[in-house]
Amino acid sequence: MTSIYDTRILNLVIFSPLLMAALVLFLPRTEKAQIRAVTFVGMLFNLATCLWAWTRFVPRHPNEFQLEYRMRWIDDLGLSYHIGVDGLAMTLVLLTGVLGPLVVLASWTYVEERVKEFHLALLVLQTALIGAVCSLDVLLFYVFFEAMLIPMYLLIGVWGAEERQMAATKFFLYTLVGSLLMLVALLAAYFIAAPAGSRSFDYATLYNGLMSLNREVAACTAAGDCSNVSAGASALLRWGPLMFIAFSIAFAIKVPMFPVHTWLPDAHVQAPVAGSMILAGVMLKMGTFGFWRFAVPFFPVAARQYQVIISLLAVIGIVYGALMCLAQKDIKKLIAYSSVSHLGYCMLGMFAFTSEGATGSAYQMLNHGISTGALFLLFGFLYERRHARLMADYGGIARVMPVFTAFFLIVTFSSIAVPGTNGFVGEFLVLLGSFKSNLPMAFSVAATTGVILGAAYMLWMVQKVFFGTVTHQENLGLKDLNRREVLAVVPLLILIAVMGLRPQPFLDMLNPSTERFIARAQYASGKTDAATEDAKVRVRVRELPAKADVVAEAAPAAMPRLMPTGRILPAAALNLQNP
Amino acid sequence: MQKLVEFFQTAPVDPQQAGQMLWLIILLPLLGAFITGVFGKIIGRANTHLVAVGAVFGSFLLSLIVFWTINDYRAMATTPFGSVNYAVGADYGTWFSAGAFKVTFGLFADHLSGSMLLVITGVGFLIHLYSTEYMSHDDGYWRFFAYLNLFVAAMLTLVLGDSLPLLFVGWEGVGMCSYLLIGFWYTDPAKAFAGRKAFITNRIGDFGFLVGSFLMVLALEAATKMPADVSSKLGRPGLEGSSVLARLSDGAKQKGPLAVPVLEEGSKVFASLLDDTIPAGPLEGFTFGGVLTAALLLFLLGAAGKSAQIPLYVWLPDAMAGPTPVSALIHAATMVTSGIYLFCRISWLAVLSPTAMATIALIGATTALVAALIAFSQKGLKKVLAYSTVSQLGLMFLGIGAGAFWAAFLHVITHAFFKACLFLGAGSVMHGNGEEEDITKLGNLRKEMPTTWLTFLVATLAITGIVPLSGFFSKDAILHAAHTNSIPAVAWALKTAWVLGVVAAGCTAFYMMRMYFVAFEYPRSAEAKTPHAHESSWHMTLPLVVLAVLSVVALVHGLPIMKAEGRGTIQTLMENFLDPVFRTTQENLAKRQFLVIPPEEHVPWGAYLQAWLIALTGGGIAFFLYMRFFPSRKGQPLPGPLEALRTFSWNKFYVDEVYNFVIIRPLGVVARVLWRVVDSILIDGVAVRGTAWVTKQSGSVLRYLQTGDAQAYAAIMALGLAGALVWVLQRYAL
Repeated sequence: MTSIYDTRILNLVIFSPLLMAALVLFLPRTEKAQIRAVTFVGMLFNLATCLWAWTRFVPRHPNEFQLEYRMRWIDDLGLSYHIGVDGLAMTLVLLTGVLGPLVVLASWTYVEERVKEFHLALLVLQTALIGAVCSLDVLLFYVFFEAMLIPMYLLIGVWGAEERQMAATKFFLYTLVGSLLMLVALLAAYFIAAPAGSRSFDYATLYNGLMSLNREVAACTAAGDCSNVSAGASALLRWGPLMFIAFSIAFAIKVPMFPVHTWLPDAHVQAPVAGSMILAGVMLKMGTFGFWRFAVPFFPVAARQYQVIISLLAVIGIVYGALMCLAQKDIKKLIAYSSVSHLGYCMLGMFAFTSEGATGSAYQMLNHGISTGALFLLFGFLYERRHARLMADYGGIARVMPVFTAFFLIVTFSSIAVPGTNGFVGEFLVLLGSFKSNLPMAFSVAATTGVILGAAYMLWMVQKVFFGTVTHQENLGLKDLNRREVLAVVPLLILIAVMGLRPQPFLDMLNPSTERFIARAQYASGKTDAATEDAKVRVRVRELPAKADVVAEAAPAAMPRLMPTGRILPAAALNLQNP
Repeated sequence: MQKLVEFFQTAPVDPQQAGQMLWLIILLPLLGAFITGVFGKIIGRANTHLVAVGAVFGSFLLSLIVFWTINDYRAMATTPFGSVNYAVGADYGTWFSAGAFKVTFGLFADHLSGSMLLVITGVGFLIHLYSTEYMSHDDGYWRFFAYLNLFVAAMLTLVLGDSLPLLFVGWEGVGMCSYLLIGFWYTDPAKAFAGRKAFITNRIGDFGFLVGSFLMVLALEAATKMPADVSSKLGRPGLEGSSVLARLSDGAKQKGPLAVPVLEEGSKVFASLLDDTIPAGPLEGFTFGGVLTAALLLFLLGAAGKSAQIPLYVWLPDAMAGPTPVSALIHAATMVTSGIYLFCRISWLAVLSPTAMATIALIGATTALVAALIAFSQKGLKKVLAYSTVSQLGLMFLGIGAGAFWAAFLHVITHAFFKACLFLGAGSVMHGNGEEEDITKLGNLRKEMPTTWLTFLVATLAITGIVPLSGFFSKDAILHAAHTNSIPAVAWALKTAWVLGVVAAGCTAFYMMRMYFVAFEYPRSAEAKTPHAHESSWHMTLPLVVLAVLSVVALVHGLPIMKAEGRGTIQTLMENFLDPVFRTTQENLAKRQFLVIPPEEHVPWGAYLQAWLIALTGGGIAFFLYMRFFPSRKGQPLPGPLEALRTFSWNKFYVDEVYNFVIIRPLGVVARVLWRVVDSILIDGVAVRGTAWVTKQSGSVLRYLQTGDAQAYAAIMALGLAGALVWVLQRYAL
């Protein structure tokens, strides 16, 4: 049924945590239990909206972006409030939504000071994360992208461990450097993509403008003569690679890729359990998502030019990150470095530019969010009991905390990609995709050794922490997980199994996104003819509504149509327009 | 008689429908694992036993029905390329697909996997039963049975899966269960370490398996894209070359490129393309033959990990840290044979690469000998059995390499019986002797544990290769094939492997009899933990008896009583039974002739005699040394060099130490150096903090410029203005 909600649901998804934050703001700061409860309910409500959006999303829809909403904002700058999701964004939104309530549950007793501020930060962060994924206006994306830094900075800096200030500052500055570079490149893209007068920060305008310029650049480079191309194309020819590099650095820091990863171990080690979970679970995906949505599609020629370098860095990240894990004594640091290794798979799969690789990469983003999120969650429980992070502080925990151990083992198996868990599907597809790609075979083989190293460091850690006899007196009295804690872990365990055994619904969701991504990455490489290619990759979005400042409600021409899936789509979503 | 044969060749259920129940065979133990794992503590010990044993028994009954069904000629499994006789299969939909790649939940049982089904669930059931008594004093019983049931489910997935990724699910699944079960008594760090060692060594193999699979995907894709002039030579009676490729490509789309039937069809295509160069794509410039050899060697690495072959065998002896029933089921009867199963499954590919075949044979034979030599000096009951397993698995690989797939598989089955019997016997001995496993501290068990003794003796004679027992026939079949078959391209390889294999067989007889004599025939040792051993209860002895009987009865499969179809030569029962499985293999062999298998015209009496003599010699030497020679010279060291040799063997040829020194430690050092130098100093120190330092320093220098002194500002402004004025004047006025 056509529903007015379909065009508004995303707003609710994005801003419901912020609304709850407003509610929390009015609660007295001494009412800690109430604050927690209200935040938890708010997060649950947010999850419900995410699930609702998920059910309204049609995987095999001709429109790239669905559940779109667009509103005039600053016309003079070509800035509009424009949101919408494709398959990848939708799954990431759902991931964020799932982690939200779990994070609150995980911090129930973990945080005892400044409880109100803590939960406010969580709620604001949730809005910023979802907002960034849903933005279809690049400047809006940038705003959310930056906005998420502040609550995360506070989470680490205020509720973190001993050296929280250093870690928070390092995290903030590192990321800021990257995002400022991105801002410059973004402005440059704004000016290059369209002639004065029709400039806009809208994703469609930027992409479609750059698309034809990329075609020109590719054509003239192939012909070997680029002296008489249009002004835009010559600008892109000259500055495109630099702009791509600027975007890449920004996102590579966020991912993080080798060699700009050193903020991550510090941030993770110092962050409270909630911070680590969100950081690993969702925030790192902003980097890979940025590559996927902006860096590669905007500059396909440059992306192909730098494909080998970025893939090489990804492979180094996989192996190097795993080796780093083998050198750690600190459990949180080990998990943090394992993230470097796992995100290396995401990047390798993406830059293989094959359907298998890209699908695997997108799937791996979700997997990493779930398994590493769960690892940090579980370790957070242990840390809360013992306030120790070194492996040497533990040993024989399996004897005193059997349920905890069982959960940790399951998550470990997911993290090392044992088939039947979610990790396997992603890793398998990434590796297959990279073998199928034009990358040197040595890259793929080296990346596959990560399979061995991953098992080596995770099981080493598991043995040190859980097996053997209890070596410390204070560990003897550790209590096993309570009901709240079990409740916080079980959803992730279920996801691990479901996504391992029935990955296809998720992959179907991701499939149109991956196909478009591949088409955009291969754009103008001369493999397909220009007209079909253009039709395939061109971004079509909702027109800017008329001045009346409302959404153009169900334009008369667009009647509800029966789609191949047999589902009637919102009329508004069919109101296509080529910009 | 004819009626009886007919009865067994008529499916008890509709052969077309039987495939639909294959998933139940896996589901039952999986459900059992879930119930015992989650609720085992609540429902109590007896109920846990009931659920766990019942689940496997139910699976066994279903397997029987399936096995019965596939003996019916009407049983047919459909594949994208037609149907396969004597098999049932079902496809339960897509597991995952992306791009051109796809994996389906397809299960498939033919004579090969059907036999494995019976071994897994049958021996598995006996071992579950045995465990109810063996683990009766352990508080972790629910965990144990959950893992054991999970293992059975994974192993069944391994054999039933009709694609390499699904096989890999079982492949890694059994590895995971093995990890959990070896480290079952995790409070002992050595046991936890053994579990980890097993998993990581297996992972090295899995790396090979994965890369090999990826290469197969690429090769298959390259084959379907071969240009027309090449594809013309692929034509078969009734099929043009191009339509062969089109069919292959359709099949790959329908079932996924790594499905077994697709690879089988692919192997027929590869057989004609081995010398062709791949014109484009990621494998550009390689020949199909080269890629195939590389992929097979990678699969060999995978199989070496799982089936404990050189260079990855080191985990298996340590795996004996797990409870004894686990050693019997996982590390003797089923999991470790999955490497052989894999190569039987893809035998049609293996025979296309003489290099790979020769390598397999040599690796197998060398492993057989090395492990046997190490077993000479080991004192632990289970340690000797572990090395003997490695050694026997080596012989099976020799069989694979020699092209006698059926013989290797026959040895898988007979070995499953007698080795499980030996391990369970060892467990019974330990159970009755206060967990003592040092053979020198036992003795006189013949009198004290009669049932265990008898079954152990039967199994020992079987593995030794004494005439009427099953081990004789299966081992002889392998060695005979290694002797008569030949790989013309590398003729020396099989010859060498045969010699190694024969010596290993002799050694087997020696160390097995040694163990038997010392543990069972010697007088009771003074160091024994209990003055008298006690015989175990029926839960434990019944499986022993059944397995001992099976190790005798299985000889039937090794008797050359069948006539080969249309050839007038003789065949053993097993060879005849597995014939439908290896049809494509024979086609490919006939086409490329990489392996020459002379037809068997008569019963090979000579070979039998030879094998028998070898076993007798080995056993005889053991008898002389341990019953006559050593007892009279107790306490005296061996003569000089022999003592050194014994120490060398006792320390397992220092292979673990070498690996530790060459691989593990350097890796740790590299990791730490990289962390300290690259991560902490170069990136974080120089690059990151360096930037911060430069910023700070420039700030502290520049701040002197910001003095807040209005006069200084005015002065600088004036100077600047003056400078600007001069510049403007210079530029425009002068």
